[in-house]
Amino acid sequence: MDVEKDLMIAESLLEIHAPSFNHPEPHRLDVEIETGDLLDGARVLVNSGWGYLSAVTGLDLGVEAGEFEVLYHFCAREAVTTLRVRVPRVGGVVPSLFQVIPSAGFYERELAEMFGITVEGAPDSSRLFLPDAWPEGVYPLRKDYEISDSGN
Amino acid sequence: MPGGAAVLPPTPGILISDGESNMHDANETFIIPIGPQHPALKEPGHFQFSVDGEVVTGASVRLGYVHRGIEKATEARNWVQNLYLLERICGICSHIHAMAYCLGVERLAGVEVPPRAQAIRVLTAELERVHSHLLWLGVAAHEAGFDTLFMYSWRDRETVMDALENLSGNRVHYSVNVLGGVKYDVDEPRAQAIFAVVDFLEERTRHYLNVVSSDAMFVQRTRGIGVTSKEQSLRLGEIGPTARAAGVPRDVRVEAPYAAYGAYPVEIILETAGDLEARFIVRINELFESYRLIRAILGDLPEGPLTVQRMPRKIPAGETISRVEAPRGELFYFIKSNGTDRPERIKVRTPTLCNLASVVALAPGHHLADIPMLLVGVDPCFSCNDRGVILDYPDGEHDHWTWDKLRQFAIDHYRNR
Repeated sequence: MDVEKDLMIAESLLEIHAPSFNHPEPHRLDVEIETGDLLDGARVLVNSGWGYLSAVTGLDLGVEAGEFEVLYHFCAREAVTTLRVRVPRVGGVVPSLFQVIPSAGFYERELAEMFGITVEGAPDSSRLFLPDAWPEGVYPLRKDYEISDSGN
Repeated sequence: MPGGAAVLPPTPGILISDGESNMHDANETFIIPIGPQHPALKEPGHFQFSVDGEVVTGASVRLGYVHRGIEKATEARNWVQNLYLLERICGICSHIHAMAYCLGVERLAGVEVPPRAQAIRVLTAELERVHSHLLWLGVAAHEAGFDTLFMYSWRDRETVMDALENLSGNRVHYSVNVLGGVKYDVDEPRAQAIFAVVDFLEERTRHYLNVVSSDAMFVQRTRGIGVTSKEQSLRLGEIGPTARAAGVPRDVRVEAPYAAYGAYPVEIILETAGDLEARFIVRINELFESYRLIRAILGDLPEGPLTVQRMPRKIPAGETISRVEAPRGELFYFIKSNGTDRPERIKVRTPTLCNLASVVALAPGHHLADIPMLLVGVDPCFSCNDRGVILDYPDGEHDHWTWDKLRQFAIDHYRNR
């Protein structure tokens, strides 16, 4: 159908920000992008009506790699474009997409509390899911966070 | 104390005081926290609505009261165990979670699931949508004070629960899926039983469509309330029936057919009014579409095996995205494998999270009395993400309302108009 067409449009929109494109699956486009270009990349997709932000995934690449990856998945019909940014595990900062995509707020609050990535410029950076009594500086979706059997 | 919600206008020369410091400046904001016990669906979520008199001026959300750390837990379990874990994310749309997960893992493993299995998955998904929409209809009717409709729709819903139990042995976690196929076959007696349920429900659903669009008291609570334009809906990232009620043609079954939806195409149901009434009409019309699909599948079920010959225990390294249409909208799974028998990462984004953003954005300007219906309008499900109302005065005083009290307040508000 028009999957190829949608993906080609996304490629041409993101060309200026991306050194290369990957197609991990036929209906998907993966774009590695600099943190500084993320907002522009999202803006160009939104302004041209290319799909919607469907989810934000945080990935811990491990203590040794010392990096997180943050994946912003945009869906347009069958096509999925993922903007991937890499940030250091220590002091990682991504810009908030709130200005461009108001509904990004929830995804960003989740990302921040689960991974300890700072989302800069978010209007609400309070916790969304974690309990009030959850200790500061403990981020459960990091790979070095162990679930204890005793639980709490 | 319901009267406490009203801000009295400052009257020069007259001191309004009961001896305590109970005076409120007209410019002060009242914040009304709702929850964490869930306002509409007996599930927990916490909302804070700031009000000016009876008009809502702002809203915020706090979730997580039923956050069970499932994404983290998947990383400590193998691929098969995770199927059963993820199915338990939700007690309403359990099947769709398992299906999204299976479709993703099967794609990573490079296995081709037999057509009969895919058809039975879709059949179950549509039966699930029927029970979910009927459940929602009852809850929404209850919030509007229309308990007769609530009782009848839930009575009728029992028939589809029986069909699911007949199919799988379970009412809630049907557990139809396995990695590489399904567990249960649909034989002739089961198919006939489902046909009978669908015939009965179709008749009832016609009646409900008539009721929600013609009952004067009910329409008063839904027509022109919570109006979302198509542009707003797109900007707010609404999905599922909520978006379709605003004329946004978003349905994963139609846009990116998965499992057997290619063989049994879905007709998209759209409304344009974007108010609460349109959300009722969209969901009810989707019931008819589900009945049609169920009949089509049962009438033309492909022959063949129920599972693949062999499903690997270790899944080849890679990433995939699995999107399916849950009863509440697009359900998004991101699955990453590192080549072992356990996933590296599973990310689940449920439809409620998208639609809640729109509630928060739309609430301002509405009457406090419209909040229960506004919330229930998106069919929120917090187990998927994760009672009582407190009037919270800025000077630290609290006045506690139960959710029942707010619901009653809303019903009385409309009754007395």
